[in-house]
Amino acid sequence: MSETSTAEPRVVVVTGGSRGLGAGIVQAYLDEGDVVATCARSSTPEVEKWQGDPAVAGRFLFQPADVSSSADCAAFVNAVIERFGRIDVLINNAGVARDGVIGLTSDEDIDVVVDLNVKGSLYMARQVSRRMMVKRSGTIVNISSVVGRSGYRGLAVYSATKAALEGMTRALARELGTRGITVNAIAPGYLRTEMSHGLDEEQLQQIVRRTPAGRLGDPEDIARACQFLTDPRNTYLTGQVLVVDGGLTG
Amino acid sequence: MQDRVEQIVREFVARVKPEAGEVAVETPLYADGVGLDSLEAAELSAVLEDEFGTDPFQGETMPETLSDIVSFYATA
Repeated sequence: MSETSTAEPRVVVVTGGSRGLGAGIVQAYLDEGDVVATCARSSTPEVEKWQGDPAVAGRFLFQPADVSSSADCAAFVNAVIERFGRIDVLINNAGVARDGVIGLTSDEDIDVVVDLNVKGSLYMARQVSRRMMVKRSGTIVNISSVVGRSGYRGLAVYSATKAALEGMTRALARELGTRGITVNAIAPGYLRTEMSHGLDEEQLQQIVRRTPAGRLGDPEDIARACQFLTDPRNTYLTGQVLVVDGGLTG
Repeated sequence: MQDRVEQIVREFVARVKPEAGEVAVETPLYADGVGLDSLEAAELSAVLEDEFGTDPFQGETMPETLSDIVSFYATA
C-alpha cells in the first residue's frame, strides 16, 4: 500500500466501474487495499475477474444498475450500506457520449446523455451525501472532461453535461463543507478508452500533437488524481476542478 | 414502532441541537421550534431511512413535527 493509505480500508463507490476509465479507478482503489463497490448496467470480464480474485475477496461488490434511474441509484447505495455499513468516497464516473452536430441530434440522444451524466450524478450525490453527513466526513469526486471547458465540435450535449458537473461540484462543496465533506472534480483530457471511440484516428493524432505530454491519457493517470483528491488528509481541498490532460489546455 | 421512532428523533436532536432540550411530539422541528436547518433535516431523513427503510421526508409534504414523523410510519 502507498503512504496515503489509512489504517482502516475506506469504502469507495465508483459508478460505471465495469470498463474503461471506471475500471481503472476501481483497480487503483483495490490496489490500495480499500473496499470498492461499483455498478454498471451489466457485468464485464473485468468485473468477473474481481469477483473471482481471492486478493479482493470480501472487499468488492458489483451490482447491476442504471445510474440514470433514481430507483437503481437508491437500491445500489442501500446495498453498499447494508454490506459495508458506510460510504467514505464517491466517484461519480458513469457517463455516456453521443457524438453528432447539434442540428441532427435527436431528443432521445439528448435525454440519454443528460439523464446519465447529470441526473445520475445528482441522484448518487443525493443518496451518498445523506449518509456522509451523518458521520460528518466523506469525499466526492465528479469526473468531468476538458470538453466541458473547451468544447468540442460534435459534442455539444456531452460538453454541456460535463460543464454542469463542474457547477454541481462547486455548489455541493459549499453546501456540504460544514459537514466535513469535500467535493471536487477531475477534468480528464483525451484518454485511450471507449469514450474516445467517437473520435477518428486523425482527430486523435491531432490531439496528441497538441498535447505537451505527447500522448493520450491512460485511466491510471486519472485514477492517481482520484487518489490525491480523496486522500483523507486533503480536507482543505474542495470545490475545485483538477484538469488532467497532459497540458493540452494549459 | 412509535417508541422507536420517537427515540431516534430525540437522540438525533440531542446530538445536533442539544440546546433544544426535550422534544415534545408537537414541537415544530424547524424555526420557532427545535431549530433544525435544511442540512440537519436531510441528515435526520437519512438516519430514519437507514433505520426503517423508508423516509418521511421524500413525500409531497415535509413532516413539521415529531408527531408527523410518527404518523408517517404508523400509516406506511
